[in-house]
Amino acid sequence: MARAIMMHEEDNVATVLMDVLQGDTISVEGGKGSLHIEAAEAVPFGHKISLSGIGKDHLILKYGETIGIAICTIPSGTHVHVHNLKSSRG
Amino acid sequence: MVQPPSLKKSESTFLGFRRPEGPPGARNHLAIISAMDNTNPLVRRICSLRSDLTAVNTSFGRALMGVDEAQHFRIMGHLAGHPNVGAAIIIGLEPMTSGAIAEAAAQASPWMPIEIVTIHETGGTLKTTSRALELAGKLGPHLSTAQREPCGLEELTLGTECGGSDTTSGLVSNPVTGMVADRVVAAGGTVIFSETLEIVGAEHLLAARAADAKTKQKILGGVQRALTYAQELGVDLIGSNPTADNMEGGLSSIEEKSLGAIKKGGNGPIVEVVGAGERPTKSGTVFADAPCGGVENITSLSASAAQAIVFSTGIGNPIGHPISPTIKVTGNPRTATLMPENIDVDLRDVIEDGVGYPEATDRLEKELLEVLSGKLTTSELLGETEITVSRAALSL
Repeated sequence: MARAIMMHEEDNVATVLMDVLQGDTISVEGGKGSLHIEAAEAVPFGHKISLSGIGKDHLILKYGETIGIAICTIPSGTHVHVHNLKSSRG
Repeated sequence: MVQPPSLKKSESTFLGFRRPEGPPGARNHLAIISAMDNTNPLVRRICSLRSDLTAVNTSFGRALMGVDEAQHFRIMGHLAGHPNVGAAIIIGLEPMTSGAIAEAAAQASPWMPIEIVTIHETGGTLKTTSRALELAGKLGPHLSTAQREPCGLEELTLGTECGGSDTTSGLVSNPVTGMVADRVVAAGGTVIFSETLEIVGAEHLLAARAADAKTKQKILGGVQRALTYAQELGVDLIGSNPTADNMEGGLSSIEEKSLGAIKKGGNGPIVEVVGAGERPTKSGTVFADAPCGGVENITSLSASAAQAIVFSTGIGNPIGHPISPTIKVTGNPRTATLMPENIDVDLRDVIEDGVGYPEATDRLEKELLEVLSGKLTTSELLGETEITVSRAALSL
């Protein structure tokens, strides 16, 4: 099974530890207990996947800290990167 | 509440060389220090003629002014007077520069035998070679018979650095380095981390960890100075960072990159901010306001008296420091496979097999203790060691 890691239990994204294909079930480590999520699209190794739906303008959290703001609505299980996240530092 | 593994108090010890005063050494180098660039060939020749000498060559040194001159004397002096050095011979063109370096070395380590040999006073490079070898012949045997003794982590200053970063740096090698750093601090030791440019976007978190207002102001002031200088150069750091290869690796914003980078310093309160190559005056977690190029940064950490450096790398970087043994750690499976002779601690199994941070931290700490006790690092074995003193201004 594909694996991903959350750096903090409050994060809404996890980093995938291998290339993930659409439809893959991913086991997410580092959170509270066991968590599985289905990939809605392909996500390359080292990139982030959303663990829940994230509304437009909502904060994206990794390491328990803000790493950016959602430019649009981000559904659960999708690739989170520069196309849907902008820096909060402007 | 269960204590996090990173804060587990370490009762670890290492075998170091006790000094008449000051911190113990992890090495007992007979260091041949080049006072400036024009004496590097001479230092290389001297070091090729005996097997117990450690060359410390440098860039620049001639016609430096103001901050650069002071920084050169301080950093070269602190490398000569380093805890890992048992005796130093400073090789110079003329007595003034060599004397200033020797003075900074003697201030750092008043107990240390320090000799100066200059070309102008001795007469030519061959006589200087001969004189330096005579002195090495007197100092060397004494150093090679010294015995290691048990030392506690409270006597350790550990430098932490990251270079050749990628997404695995923030996931594995930086956090694990930070957890070892926390163990050193919990045991009463000191950890120095640095790279001002790589805290931009996460400086608020470091400022919040500052032990007092002055330290907080110095952290934020360092970031502001870096941003202002970049603006003067016409570089937009926030707009151009992360770089294209960082983004390809999965980093989406400058704050994400910096949040990963600061992990290498652990989680402790920041008790002091020092300038490049300045020695900390307090135990605990210290931030050095210094540039982030790998060789410049490990030079600064070593000059701040780090007896060892943990160098976290993602895509791989082979370099180490000649005086402070430098432990290369990676969590990137590709790097660990591609350049194994340049990696001391391979943590690929955190990514590949789900090995936990506590076990990875134990492994890195064990390697650190072994290296402090004499185990040679990959960069020491292959001679992939270098220094360079940062410049503050242009040459005129």
